[in-house]
Amino acid sequence: MSKLKHSLGRVLAIALAGNLISAAASAETVKIGINVPMTGFAAADGMSALTGAKLAVKQANSAGGINGDKIELIIYDDQASPKESAPIAAKMTTQDKVSVGISGSYSGATRAAASVFQSNGTPYISAFAVHPGITQAGDYVFRTSFVGIVQGRAGAKLVGKTLGKKNAVVITLKNDFGKSLAAGFKEAASKFGVNIINEYEYSIKDRQFGPIVSKVKADKPDVIYASGYFFTAGPLVSQLRAAGISVPIIGQEGYDSEKFIKIAGKASEGVIITTSLDRDSSVPETRNFISAFKEMAGVSPDMVAASGHTAVKVAVAAMKIAGTTDHKAIRDAIANLKLKASTGNISFNSLGEVKKDVQVQVVRDGAWHHYSVISDPDLLAPPTK
Amino acid sequence: MEYQITLITIVSISVMAALSLNLITGFCGQISLGHAAFYGAGAYTSAMLTTTGIPFTASLVAAAGIAGFLGLIVGFASLRVRHDFLAITTMGVGFLFVGIIRQQDVLGGEMGIFGIPDPGFGKIGYMFFCLILAGITAAFSLYLKRTWMGYSFDAIADDEDTAKMIGIDVSRYKLAAFAMGTAIAGIAGGLYAHEVKYIGPDSFGFIESVTMLAIVVIGGIGSVPGVIVAAIALTMLPQWLQIIADYKLLLYGGLLFGFMRFSPGGLAALTRKLMSVRTANVEFEEVPGGRTPER
Amino acid sequence: MLFFELTVQGLVQGSIYALIAVGLTLVYGLLRVLHVAHAGLFTLGGYIGVIVTNATGSLLLATLTAMVTVGFLGIIIYRLCYHPILDKPPFVALIASIGLFIAMEEIFRLMFGPYGLSYDAPPLMETVSIAGMNLKYAEVVVMAGTATLIGGLAFLAEKTRLGAAWRATVTDPEMAGSFGIDIIRVRYLNFFIGSALAAAAGVLVALLNNLVEPTMGSVASYKALAIIVLGGLGDVRGTLIASLVLGIIESFGTIYLGAILDRDAIAFAFLILVLMVRPRGMFAKA
Repeated sequence: MSKLKHSLGRVLAIALAGNLISAAASAETVKIGINVPMTGFAAADGMSALTGAKLAVKQANSAGGINGDKIELIIYDDQASPKESAPIAAKMTTQDKVSVGISGSYSGATRAAASVFQSNGTPYISAFAVHPGITQAGDYVFRTSFVGIVQGRAGAKLVGKTLGKKNAVVITLKNDFGKSLAAGFKEAASKFGVNIINEYEYSIKDRQFGPIVSKVKADKPDVIYASGYFFTAGPLVSQLRAAGISVPIIGQEGYDSEKFIKIAGKASEGVIITTSLDRDSSVPETRNFISAFKEMAGVSPDMVAASGHTAVKVAVAAMKIAGTTDHKAIRDAIANLKLKASTGNISFNSLGEVKKDVQVQVVRDGAWHHYSVISDPDLLAPPTK
Repeated sequence: MEYQITLITIVSISVMAALSLNLITGFCGQISLGHAAFYGAGAYTSAMLTTTGIPFTASLVAAAGIAGFLGLIVGFASLRVRHDFLAITTMGVGFLFVGIIRQQDVLGGEMGIFGIPDPGFGKIGYMFFCLILAGITAAFSLYLKRTWMGYSFDAIADDEDTAKMIGIDVSRYKLAAFAMGTAIAGIAGGLYAHEVKYIGPDSFGFIESVTMLAIVVIGGIGSVPGVIVAAIALTMLPQWLQIIADYKLLLYGGLLFGFMRFSPGGLAALTRKLMSVRTANVEFEEVPGGRTPER
Repeated sequence: MLFFELTVQGLVQGSIYALIAVGLTLVYGLLRVLHVAHAGLFTLGGYIGVIVTNATGSLLLATLTAMVTVGFLGIIIYRLCYHPILDKPPFVALIASIGLFIAMEEIFRLMFGPYGLSYDAPPLMETVSIAGMNLKYAEVVVMAGTATLIGGLAFLAEKTRLGAAWRATVTDPEMAGSFGIDIIRVRYLNFFIGSALAAAAGVLVALLNNLVEPTMGSVASYKALAIIVLGGLGDVRGTLIASLVLGIIESFGTIYLGAILDRDAIAFAFLILVLMVRPRGMFAKA
């Protein structure tokens, strides 16, 4: 028994020491906390989001910081797991005492952390996690990317009105991202004269879609609405084309990465997606972001990186306006913010959801290019509760 | 302080979950690679009940019941298969559980269940609640070891065929172990759901099951103090290692490997060895479930 | 037509499973070890395949390089990891292997980045029409390659002295040893061949998807375990058949059962069903 106490005692001592070290004082800086998956299955997106965030901090600091104070980005790896993100959120709010928190992580982890940020009255901005419950955590939680439902609706308009297609097959990634996109698409489909022939689902681990491809071929749709990330969409699109299916394929911001084009190769030509980043944009914010990111990271940015960048930008802008590190003031500043970022004109509704246009991009000559813009405030109105 | 409170709460829940697996694996020698399914079943049961207004403590009882019931079913399956087959069957159960949950919108589907209501104990009160439950689990495990059931568990873990020969009703004890272990895991799951206030299918998959098993194995299968220390250490590890965040998982894998390679009896055996070196006694290292080559 | 297509796709997927699972069952048959880290060798094979092809332009060279390199790595893993713990209870090797696999995935991520690698000029992308169905050359190569490799393995096992020594060692190591067979060498051969097959699978999967990722082995790590149990632990022919059968079951299952279960759940539901009826696998000599 004493053996147990001894080892327990040792373990606890080390634990407390560890905490004290990390709580060591830092100078007069403004702290922004961010949780991203750096290890585990979501490491790719975590890296993108973090790089985007780091760029935003770097840019803000070289422009004089926030009213003179330098910004310090406090980074945590949450492995995209709610079990890890909850204590991290507690640490960020009560120990690091961040002014604003950013989530560069997936929905589960973000949702768990959001509760903590809300109950501790610290503003929290979700860069790209789509789960509707995130903003429902409370008025301190904001989201700078589209809720899945909204983007799905935009997809329906794109398919039905812009492209004029009638019969669609929906291929859905089985997670909150894919399912909410499909839900939005299906909800708005009839409004634009789109008939959904069939829907198929696949798991985030799948890379071989043979059975679905065969079934889709038999369905003979005139358009395919497929949700996924670059590592699923790349193989999927490649396999659809190889099977001889030549109808338009519509994707979303999960595709929005150079890797998608690399993986799918020639098959990616002509794929259209709804997203927030316009590569051909003449808007200075977007152009600057793209070139600055390329310079810093050596690769072109993807949607996730742009989201991370925008989230931090929002935080910085709000803190400048608030002029203080008081959480309530910052929160109000975010709520009333109107900001131009690489991912569009950002403003929030009462729930903390972003209101902005949907960019539509297409792959042409092996790169993403502007296709159109969907600007329909009623259609794109995010939920308010 | 809140950070430490959250940590202690999560650690207590981990300890409880690990000890529940220790009952099945450690005491009865049945390797389960799907324990997270029962943890998850408890979490989902409890969360679904409290979100419809049922009081928290009642939901925990239900969680234990459902998880224990599912455990009993799996326990029956375990009677038909052994050792490596059992490990993989339990792994299959884990995948089946997650696979089913994902598809049922009534269980939250991909979205999971969020906005789980606060149990109302306050942060510190809840921490003590979890600590107490973990403590009870530990005490129960220790007590069990000293009873007839405990001796039978040991015998079964050591050599099932011999145990049968000397008249131990192996089936009954195996089922008991499964039911108890999974019921406790169910309660732990309910506690988890109400701490993190969001659960989704991703939290209860194969990786979670492996983590639980790793804790038990590193602690020393069957050793209650060993498993407790391992649970504390391995749950805190990701938080401590934030400094080397990029190498965290690498270290974790290395740790698992290193322990198995150099001290398969886990922390318990390591400590025993250190103690014996000091007292200059020759210790005979016993690890339950010794290998008998099958022809 | 759909039926035919689904079956063919099942065979393609099943072939990949077979290449991985056969290696795994070889190890199990000889040592009773659940070699989860085998999936890490599969991933490494994929990486080497892509890197060498991108560097030299030759897929064939890449495949050979991958198979040989990973084969030797398999031997090293045996020597450093499994050999010293063979006398311990089975869970020790299992957890050690899991730890090793996690570490391998992380090393891949740290070395090659989290985004994964693709071919600069993906080979075998053209399609051919067979019996009305469009198949990529890569898919045909997968099936043909698997048949060749497994066929070669069978030839080795049945018709050569080496194979005879191997089979003897699997059946009864002590007896084989007393006949002068070097057990350790046989184990080295075992790991080499198993790992080389996994590497080949990795190269082929990289071809099919045009993507290798650090975590691409994670599905294989547990799925292969299910397959070797289905096929009867240690039974190569059973594993081969179980692989193909599972590929086809998943192929049909994802379409017709997709609403209730996902792909992995279908595979494991099938496994559990079989085990309840035949606790020692589909082909166990009861």
